[in-house]
Amino acid sequence: MTDTRQPLLRVQDLTVTFGHHHHAVSAVAGVSFEIYEGETLGLVGESGCGKSTTGKALMRIVEPSSGTIELGGVDITEQNGRALRNARTHMQMIFQDPISSLNPRRRVKDIVAEPLDCWKKVRGPERDAMISDLLSKVGIDPAVYGNRYARQFSGGQCQRISIARSLAMRPKLLICDEMVSALDVSVQAQILNLLEDLKAEYGLTLLFIAHDLAVVKNVSDRVAVMYLGKICEIGPADALYEAPAHPYTKFLLGAALEADPDSPMHSQVLEGEPPSPMNPPSGCRFRTRCPNATERCAAEEPQPREVAPGHQVACHFPLSITRK
Amino acid sequence: MSESEKLLVVKDLATTFATAGGLVPAVGGVSFDLERNETLGIVGESGSGKTVLSRTIMGLQPRANVTVTGSARVNGFEVVGASEKEKRQIWGTEVAMVFQDPMTSLNPVMRIGKQIDEALRVRMGMNRAAARARAIELLELVGIPSPAQRYDAYPGQLSGGMRQRVVIATALACSPKLLMADEPTTGLDVTIQAQILNLLDELKDRLKMSVILVTHDLGVVATRTSRIVVMYAGRIVETGSTREVFYHHRMPYTRALLESSPKVSNHPHTRLATIPGRPPNLLKLAQGCSFAPRCAYATDRCHQERPELQPAAEPGHSFACWNPLPTTRGVAAP
Repeated sequence: MTDTRQPLLRVQDLTVTFGHHHHAVSAVAGVSFEIYEGETLGLVGESGCGKSTTGKALMRIVEPSSGTIELGGVDITEQNGRALRNARTHMQMIFQDPISSLNPRRRVKDIVAEPLDCWKKVRGPERDAMISDLLSKVGIDPAVYGNRYARQFSGGQCQRISIARSLAMRPKLLICDEMVSALDVSVQAQILNLLEDLKAEYGLTLLFIAHDLAVVKNVSDRVAVMYLGKICEIGPADALYEAPAHPYTKFLLGAALEADPDSPMHSQVLEGEPPSPMNPPSGCRFRTRCPNATERCAAEEPQPREVAPGHQVACHFPLSITRK
Repeated sequence: MSESEKLLVVKDLATTFATAGGLVPAVGGVSFDLERNETLGIVGESGSGKTVLSRTIMGLQPRANVTVTGSARVNGFEVVGASEKEKRQIWGTEVAMVFQDPMTSLNPVMRIGKQIDEALRVRMGMNRAAARARAIELLELVGIPSPAQRYDAYPGQLSGGMRQRVVIATALACSPKLLMADEPTTGLDVTIQAQILNLLDELKDRLKMSVILVTHDLGVVATRTSRIVVMYAGRIVETGSTREVFYHHRMPYTRALLESSPKVSNHPHTRLATIPGRPPNLLKLAQGCSFAPRCAYATDRCHQERPELQPAAEPGHSFACWNPLPTTRGVAAP
């Protein structure tokens, strides 16, 4: 199913290293994936696994140390100045903390207008109509709230304003970094539904970064699981959740809490904590906590391999994925 | 079981803050009780009053501009109206609290062992050597590897999960009968969250404690509690056994809360049920049901008259609603 569509974003061997010499930390240590036009790729992992850094590196908010990022067939890794700014209009990012990502002393309509004004795409009444339209689309009445300041809004409303701002340039790719994790469940559901509606209306492609496995499953076509700077498994959302091939994915899913008293208790809990990315284990990065680890896992780094169509796993001893 | 044998009895407890904007009824008259060796979950969205309620039960709200009325008896001790000196008799030995943020609940410039020692030496009158030995025992109890070495570590040298284990060890130092855990796993990763919840479960049985889990996460309470209290705008809107509340809830808010949480078992692009609007401003609470403005079943009566908790079919299950959802038990509600 993935063969016929064109990837909008192709990431190859992306690494991001912070610091120098013996203080260097590879937050992202060689990540490759594609996002096809019109799909949502979920990126999950625990804190410190490099999922947010990956998102920021795609926007070149942090600079990749190596690897390539191709957006719509154009390599943007080496672009600078005007070319980079131009490329960035095709991709926008929504951040975790909705309140701190808006300037509290600016009016809502000015916040949403800023990208349009920077690029001087539209002016005058046409510009005002566009801003009103964007605010209405995210469920904020422009006549009532357009002149209010960002500080006067709740977290959920601020996230709506952030979405309106990100859509102003009509981007192709939207990178959502933990965009609902600061919100209450009832507001979270509103924002997730809104995102799905806007995705259909604007023909968006999404990279949805989150730590919440249930939220990611609800929005994603495919899911990638990261551990200590690397993708350990990537595949169709349903298949990956039903039958994970990587032991880490299995533990991660086992730890997720379902709001159902009849759901199984945590019988198998992953022991210990992730090792420091400053001094990652040799070979497979998960081997220090993996119950199936052997000498081979310490000696040789597992390369991604296909276990089912579109389902790749980086493990020497993948779990059987025969579906029930 | 008679009331005197219950570990915690809360009656008409109300906490009101006097602010520049007016009186805020953060907790507006709440009654419930807790058996010995039981785990109770208090769930609600932000601003529902769950944290203020747990702090009031602890007796941690005696500041100016706060009025507490009603009664909260912890193992027979009346917290409301007690002086700080009196409350010191129950803090630690009867009731202890684990807060959400493990970094700010530990002193960053004090060795973790000393922070556990403090309670043991002051409250239990232990000498230095005995306190140290007990602190190391407690660190071991909460699953900290090589506890004797970690005794001398500073909080900054530990990960979030390890710090929360230290906070739990500190809370357990004087063997409390009731452990209040306010969002104990909210800032933690899922795999660490599972470890901490398993630890709390295990300690509850081993030390014969009762636990109150205060959380916004329905997933946390689903498998970990025997009973649940659902709060909205400072009041209890539904309470009952966990299974009853999850499967046979009568209050529309409970259903809306359950249906709006994404589930791991959902297929991609499942449309989530939403609750329109957002929680009410406590400064401008309407006289009727607080949920009425967001409720699909609201009638005129809901806007005018506040529903009190009324019993449902199963003993212990009650809800506050004029137009409850039809019972799913096949038994007519009284």
